[in-house]
Amino acid sequence: MKRGQRFRIYVVILLIIIPAFETGCWDSHELNKLSIVSGLGWDIDTDTGEVTLTFQSIIPSEIKSASGSSGNGGQKGGNPLHTIQLDSSTGSSPYDALNRYTQHGSRSTFYQHAQVYVFGKEGAQQGIYPFLDSISRNPINRPNILMIVAEKKAGDILGIQDGMENIQAMGMAAEIKLSAEYTKYPAVTFLEFANRLMSKTTAPIVPMVGIFEDIGPEGEKIRKTRITGTAVFKGDRMIGKLNERESRGLLWIINKIKKGYVIIPEANLEIVQAKSKILPELEGDKIKITIEIDEESNLLQYSGYQDITSNILQELEKVQAKEIESQVMAAVEKSFSLNADVFGFGDAVHRKYKKEWQDLKPRWNEVYPCIEIEVKVKTHINEIGDVNKALIKK
Amino acid sequence: MFLEQGKISNFQLSTLIIGFVFGASVILSPGEGAGHDAWIAVALGLMEGLLIAWIFTALAKQFKNKTIVEINSLVYGKILGKCVSVFFIWYLFHLGALVLNNYARFLKLELYTATPITVILIFIMLVCASTVGRGIEVLARCSLILVTLTILMAFMDTFLIIPHMDFNNLMPILDVPIGKLLWTSHGVAIFPFGDTVAFLMVLAFINKPEKGRSAVFSGLIIAGFVLIMVVARNAAVLGQMVVTYSYPSYITAQVIDIGDVLTRVEVLVAINLITMGFFKISVVFYGTALGLAQVFNLRSYRPIILPVGILMVILALTNVGSTVEMFDFANRGYPIYTVPFQIGIPLITLFVAKIRKLPQTGGDKV
Repeated sequence: MKRGQRFRIYVVILLIIIPAFETGCWDSHELNKLSIVSGLGWDIDTDTGEVTLTFQSIIPSEIKSASGSSGNGGQKGGNPLHTIQLDSSTGSSPYDALNRYTQHGSRSTFYQHAQVYVFGKEGAQQGIYPFLDSISRNPINRPNILMIVAEKKAGDILGIQDGMENIQAMGMAAEIKLSAEYTKYPAVTFLEFANRLMSKTTAPIVPMVGIFEDIGPEGEKIRKTRITGTAVFKGDRMIGKLNERESRGLLWIINKIKKGYVIIPEANLEIVQAKSKILPELEGDKIKITIEIDEESNLLQYSGYQDITSNILQELEKVQAKEIESQVMAAVEKSFSLNADVFGFGDAVHRKYKKEWQDLKPRWNEVYPCIEIEVKVKTHINEIGDVNKALIKK
Repeated sequence: MFLEQGKISNFQLSTLIIGFVFGASVILSPGEGAGHDAWIAVALGLMEGLLIAWIFTALAKQFKNKTIVEINSLVYGKILGKCVSVFFIWYLFHLGALVLNNYARFLKLELYTATPITVILIFIMLVCASTVGRGIEVLARCSLILVTLTILMAFMDTFLIIPHMDFNNLMPILDVPIGKLLWTSHGVAIFPFGDTVAFLMVLAFINKPEKGRSAVFSGLIIAGFVLIMVVARNAAVLGQMVVTYSYPSYITAQVIDIGDVLTRVEVLVAINLITMGFFKISVVFYGTALGLAQVFNLRSYRPIILPVGILMVILALTNVGSTVEMFDFANRGYPIYTVPFQIGIPLITLFVAKIRKLPQTGGDKV
């Protein structure tokens, strides 16, 4: 009995002592002393070569009130940026800029919740290696942060309120993910970007975001962000841009098709399922790459004013296949003209011909534009919807 | 002369070996030198590791219920035997310091950036010292629970990461030059599999010594297969970046994202490290303390636990200057440095014992 009591006292004493150690006094992060960064922007001044970092920080106390009045957020009339604060600082290197931030910032930056890295176009054209190196060394970098290239300056993009999300960077990340889900533009994470960079032959790609102006319900101007293309990198430098059609072609080839629509003059179709394969073939010094695309779709709209028969479906399948092929070829031609292997053809050759690859790899730049491409598209239309007769016949 | 009265079952030995092998290797991904072929390197390394285990289990089988220190005194005579034992104990002691160092570096880089390394080390050491003081039985029973949890967590991580895997990343198979692959797999055989030679201090206390080898082998094989899975998973998720990250398992766990809800589970990997590293440190710590006690004919090894622990912390703080040095030593120096301890001492002892026809029948007493 006595022993049991003493034991209990020991347990109580332990319970008091242990929490004192568990707080991690050295590594405490207090919310009221942190500036939680949701998006990080990177710009380079082409004249001076100076780096500007833009921090989009979340103001935690504002989040609650904003979500409480959700639904009329747009009509509030006040500052639409009330949940975020923009800060920027300029220096000769990323950490010099960060250092100068402490001259005017009141809270230390906390990056664990960063959603996007935004690169200004000029900065991207100059090379983003200093940024990549400093961010990948830092344990705060998470592999699935999204990468974005801004049409102009990264700082401008981060300051625009858009979408249904309270925090702009989260809204922008959601925008990119949605466009990737509907197979318009790729969503590229830091890990994917770094992997393409590491492979030496494959060119990194990043979606580009621009600003467009819209007119609001009361005639005022609203600025919104919009995805405008796919930036193509060679090494760490941006060298060109794929437009909407070429971006879709790229996604067909790299097997990143999820949902989305195929628009042909006769009909609109919805992609249900699609798969693609890159099949390289090496004959002597010539490389031939066959791209096999297997697609299934549903009919959404048909403008032929007649009942749909299996003959018509077969005809539609053919036209659809042709459309997909032309999208693919558009991407291929653009990529050849940029001489940037955005599809990972080099890696595909490496996987199949690892001996010959040792010889091909150093001169991939010369080999790449001479590759012979063959596109094989198989399409199948599954469903035609709730009606099986045309409403108006001609 | 027994300083340790405890007995552990063969099954507990297997789990203890699994925990020991996971030790630092959950964090320092084994076979990283082979890039995306690391899983082949681990598989080859497992085979070589089994060979090493075959040698030292043969020795343990020859001399039942005896630790390496007692075996050495029997085989080489009193003075030479003790010299060899001191060498072996140095290996255990140094290995403990290296693991402590890995451990603290990881925690310092990823989790406790501001906490001084000394504080982290002292806390780990206190836990290990208290376990070692309670004897091998306690350690073995801990392993049963914690190792099961760790294996479950490793499988759970792998299951959750399936959507992010791309098996193209594992192709082409055998992309590294064969020489490099063999060197890497030798490195894997030494660390983590060959380090189990430390169990020469523990094998004396199992209750079925004649089945000791099968217990060691089953532990090594299970641990090996889990490691192959983990390494292949890391390469499939991270692609070419797997070679650039210092701690790929941790980064792989960061990639886990189930519908934006189940994210940021990487700390599970850190927990695995903390629990499994505890086994590795405790076993070598136990070996060092018990071995020293036997060398100096002490009546108990408990009084020297704390001094040994303090020395181990000091060595851990001073012997490796930076993470670069740590990886350099792990990849280039360690696979050569440990060969005399892992293969040399057991093999030569076995030979000398065979030549001297030891142990003689009925000569079970020292």
